[in-house]
Amino acid sequence: MARIAGVNIPTNKRVTIGLRYIYGIGPTKADEICRQLAIPEAKRVNQLSDEEVLRIRELIDKDYRVEGDLRREVAMNIKRLMDLGCYRGLRHRRGLPVRGQRTHTNARTRKGKAVPIAGKKKVTK
Amino acid sequence: MARSVWKGPFVDGYLLAKADAARASGRNEIIRIWSRRSTILPQFVGLTFGVYNGHKFLPVQVTENMVGHKFGEFSPTRTFTGHAADRKAKRA
Repeated sequence: MARIAGVNIPTNKRVTIGLRYIYGIGPTKADEICRQLAIPEAKRVNQLSDEEVLRIRELIDKDYRVEGDLRREVAMNIKRLMDLGCYRGLRHRRGLPVRGQRTHTNARTRKGKAVPIAGKKKVTK
Repeated sequence: MARSVWKGPFVDGYLLAKADAARASGRNEIIRIWSRRSTILPQFVGLTFGVYNGHKFLPVQVTENMVGHKFGEFSPTRTFTGHAADRKAKRA
C-alpha cells in the first residue's frame, strides 16, 4: 500500500496504471511521471521501494496540481463564470449544457434523470 | 478552434472610437452597440455598454473579469419562461 498525494492508495497494479487513481493524473501524466523517475513500466506499486514512493510524492507535489487543489481550481473557474453573468455562467446555474449542445433531446448528463411532465394529459384510446 | 494569437483579439473598430468618446465626455452614459461579436478589451473596463439582444439594449457594466469575453455573452437573446405544464403543476 502506498499513499501518494493524500488519500490515494493504488493497489498491486503497475505504477503507470495505479497513479491514474489520483484525481488529475491520467494516462499521459502517469507515463510522464514514470519516465521522469526512470521507473520501469512493468514495475508494480507494491514493488516500489520507500525511496521511490517518496520521489513520486515529491514530484507530484512540486509539478502537478491534483486532488483538492485541482477540484478547487475547477470549482473556482465555474464560480467565476456564474458570478460574471455571462451566457456560460447562466447555463451552469441552470444545470444545462454549456457548450451549445442541443437540449430538445439528450443532454441527460447535465439535466439529470428524465422526469415525467406533471399535469400533462394522458392520451386515451 | 481557438483564434490565432498573432491576429490579436477581434473588435469592431468603431467601438474603440465610441469608447474613447465616452471616456472623453466624462459622463457615464450607456454606449449603445450592436457588435455582440466583439471581444471586451481592457480599455473598456469601467464603461457601461448597452448591448443589443435583438430587442433591447441591455446595460452591461464592464468589469475586469469580463476582459476576453465577447459582448454578446452578457446579453441573452432568448427568454425561457418555463413550460406550460410546469406552471400548471405549480399552480395546482
